[in-house]
Amino acid sequence: MPPSPTREILVLIKQVPDQNAKAGVNPDGTIDRARAKRMLNPFDRYALQAALHIKKTYGGRVTAITMGPPPAEEILLEAIAHGVDAGVLLSDRRLAASDTLATSYALTRVIEHLGAFDFIFCGLQTTDGDTAQVGPEIAERLNIPHVSYCEDFRLEQTEAETALVAKRIIEAGYQWIKMKPPALITVANSYPALEYQSIRGARQVQQLQRDAAAKANYIRVVNLDDVQADPQQCGLIGSPTIVGRTWKIAEMGGSCQMQQGAPVEQMVQHVFQQANIRELVRA
Amino acid sequence: MSEQKQPSSSSSEASWSEEAETTGSASVEVDIKAIPHGHVLVLAEQILGDLQPVTLELLGIGRELADKLGTTLSAMVLGHELGEMPKTLIAYGADVVYVADHPDLKYYANLPYKRVICDWMQRFEMPPHIVLAGSTTTGRDLAPRVAAYFLTGLTADTIEMDIGPYEHSTGNDPSKMGLFPDCLYAVRPSFGESLKARILGPWKNPQMATARPGVMTPLTPDWNRPMNIEHIPVHLQPEDYRVQVLEVFREVEKGVSLTDAEVIVAGGYGLGNAEGFGLLQNLADCFQNAVVGASRKAVDSGWIPYKHQVGQTGKTVRPKLYIACGISGAIQHRVGMSKSDTIIAINKDPDAPIFKFAHHGIVGDVYQVLPEMIRQLKDRNASAALNAAPSVRSSSEEGMAHV
Ligand SMILES: Cc1cc2nc3c(=O)[nH]c(=O)nc-3n(C[C@H](O)[C@H](O)[C@H](O)COP(=O)(O)OP(=O)(O)OC[C@H]3O[C@@H](n4cnc5c(N)ncnc54)[C@H](O)[C@@H]3O)c2cc1C
Ligand SMILES: Nc1ncnc2c1ncn2[C@@H]1O[C@H](COP(=O)(O)O)[C@@H](O)[C@H]1O
Repeated sequence: MPPSPTREILVLIKQVPDQNAKAGVNPDGTIDRARAKRMLNPFDRYALQAALHIKKTYGGRVTAITMGPPPAEEILLEAIAHGVDAGVLLSDRRLAASDTLATSYALTRVIEHLGAFDFIFCGLQTTDGDTAQVGPEIAERLNIPHVSYCEDFRLEQTEAETALVAKRIIEAGYQWIKMKPPALITVANSYPALEYQSIRGARQVQQLQRDAAAKANYIRVVNLDDVQADPQQCGLIGSPTIVGRTWKIAEMGGSCQMQQGAPVEQMVQHVFQQANIRELVRA
Repeated sequence: MSEQKQPSSSSSEASWSEEAETTGSASVEVDIKAIPHGHVLVLAEQILGDLQPVTLELLGIGRELADKLGTTLSAMVLGHELGEMPKTLIAYGADVVYVADHPDLKYYANLPYKRVICDWMQRFEMPPHIVLAGSTTTGRDLAPRVAAYFLTGLTADTIEMDIGPYEHSTGNDPSKMGLFPDCLYAVRPSFGESLKARILGPWKNPQMATARPGVMTPLTPDWNRPMNIEHIPVHLQPEDYRVQVLEVFREVEKGVSLTDAEVIVAGGYGLGNAEGFGLLQNLADCFQNAVVGASRKAVDSGWIPYKHQVGQTGKTVRPKLYIACGISGAIQHRVGMSKSDTIIAINKDPDAPIFKFAHHGIVGDVYQVLPEMIRQLKDRNASAALNAAPSVRSSSEEGMAHV
C-alpha cells in the first residue's frame, strides 16, 4: 500500500463501559452494557494525542475510526472536538461478539475502504477487551510494520522519504526503532496526555449535534456491506475464540490486622512486631 | 455489539453454551475431530542476550500441557550468539529447541522475528497444537502478528492454563459443532468486572495464548536431559527490513529490578508529589535488597518512571515484603503484587480496598507514618519488634491462582 500524497492519519478509538460509574454495574460485579455509562477508552486518549501531534507538527488530516453500536458516535464527536477532521463509525449487528481476530478483520476492511494512509494510531489496549492485540493484528493483516508501547516519536523527513523514529518501552529499558510509513503505532500511557478541547472544537461539535445534515459531512456510518466485509469473518461466526466459564474473583479479606487511631509510633511498632520483617532489615 | 473478549453479563449476545463442558477427560469419547496432536511450542524471549524469566515459567506450564496431551514440548529462540541459552531451555523442560541465529535477529524486531517463526511453523508436518508466549512488551508485540498470520485465536494475559474437553452444541454455526477432547483452557482475568474467564478456541490450530509473567512456576532445571538442539534456517525478505532497530537502552539505574527485590516500598497517588518518592527511597534504604515501586497513577502523574510500575500493565512481583503507601488497591494494582508474602498498607482511608487484602494495615497519613518507620528501622533499639523473636505467620496462599 503506497503512502498517500497528502498525509493521512488514522486513529482507532473505542467506546467502553465506564467502570468507575456505579450505573450499570450489577451486584455481582458484571457489567450490564445496556445501562452502563459509556466513555472513550482511556488508553485511546493517548492515541488521539499522538495523531493530533503529527497533524499539528508535520501537517496532515486525522480520521478517527470506531467499531461499535450506534452510540459509539459520541466518541467520534468527542474526537472532533479535540481536533480530529472526520470520523467513521462501523456499526453492524453481525459484528456482535467479535473477538480480536474478527475485530481486526472488520477494522482492516474499513481502513482499506478509506484508501491510502500514512499512519494508524491505536491505544495500547482497551479497558474492556483488554488484550492489546487489535492494533498489531491489524498491522499484520495490512502487511505494514508496527511499533507498540510507543511513548515518543518523531518524523525524519528528507526529500526522498519520510521515516518514523519511535521510542518503545521494553522490559529491560527501551529501544528506538525506525520505520517507513505506512505504519501502525500503539501508544503507551506514558505518552503526553490528551490536550483539552479547543473552544472552537467544542462549539463545532455542539453545532453538529443540532444539525444532522452537517454532522453527516463529518461522520460517516458504514456497515459490513459498505466496506465489502465478509460476514463469515465477523462476529461470533468469524471469531476463533469464545468465552467459556467465568468465575467471580472472590474478595479476599478479613485477615488484615488493622492499626487505627493509636499514636503513630505505637501503630508502627505493632505492625513491625506482627509482620516478620527482622531478617529483611539492613544490619 | 459488545466484544465477547470480555465476558458479558447478557448471555443473549452469545448463543453458545458451555453446559456440556465436563471436568476431567475420563468420560470423553473419542470424536472424529480428535486429530493427533502437534506439539506445544514456547516462543522463548531474550533481551540483549538475557533469557527472560517468563520463558522458564512458560516451559513449566508448557511441560504440563504437553504431558497431558502426550506430545512434545518445543521451544524456539531467536537471536545472535545465544551461547548456553538453548541448553537452559532444555533443562527447564523443553524436549527440543529450535535456534534461529542470525546477526539481524540480535535485537527483537517484529517483522523479522515473525517471518522466521511463521516460516518455521509451516514446515512442521503437523502444526503446533498450542503456541505460548509471554505477556511482555515483546510477547504482546509478536504473538498477535503470528496469530493474525495464521488467522487463529490468541488469549491475552492468561493466569492459568489447562487441557480439557469442550463440546459445542448450540449456536447457528454448524461448522463449529462437535466435541473437542483436548482443548486449551486459557484463563484470564477480566478486570473491569472482577471476573476470571476461561477462553476456548478449539477450532483453529494452533491455539495461542500469552501468559502473564510471574504467575506460572518454572520447573527445577535438569541438566541431564538430552540436548536436542536444532538450528533452523533464517530467510529474511527485503520487506522485513521496514523496521529497523536503531538503539537499545538497558536501564542501568541500579535497584529497579522489581522482580528480584525482597522488599518493595511502593507509592501511589496518595503521596501527592514526586518528592514523596524520595521518602520512600529512604525507607527502602533501611532494608537489604529493597527497591521502590509505584502505582500506575503515580507513574502517569510523572512522579516516577514507568519501569517502577507494579500491576497489570507493569511488573508482577512477589517480594517477601510489600509496603504500599498511599495506594488504593485497585484490581489492576493488586494482580501485580497480591502474591507478596507480607503486605503492609498505609492509607488514610480506612475503607480503602487495599485493606481487604493487605496483611497489616495502618490507617494514617504517609507523611507521618513513613518517617516514623524510618526512625524505628534506623534505631533498632527504638523498636522492640526488631529484636523480638519473629512471629510465625502462614504466608498468603491467596495468589492470583486462587483468588
Ligand atoms: C487496563 C488497566 C491497566 C492498569 N494497570 C495498572 C497497573 O499496572 N498498575 C497500577 O497500579 N494501576 C493500574 N491501573 C490503574 C488502576 O485502575 C488505578 O487507577 C491505580 O492503581 C490507582 O493508583 P493509586 O492507588 O495510586 O491512586 P488512587 O486510587 O487515587 O489512590 C490513592 C490512595 O491514597 C490514599 N491517600 C491519599 N492521601 C494520602 C496520605 N496523605 N496518606 C495516606 N494515604 C493517602 C487515598 O485514600 C487513596 O486510597 C490500570 C488500569 C487499567 C484500566
Ligand atoms: N471496536 C474498536 N473500534 C476501534 N478501535 C478499536 C476497537 N477495539 C480495539 N480497538 C483499537 O485497538 C486497541 C487495542 O484494543 P484491545 O486489543 O481491545 O486491547 C484500542 O486501544 C483501539 O485503538
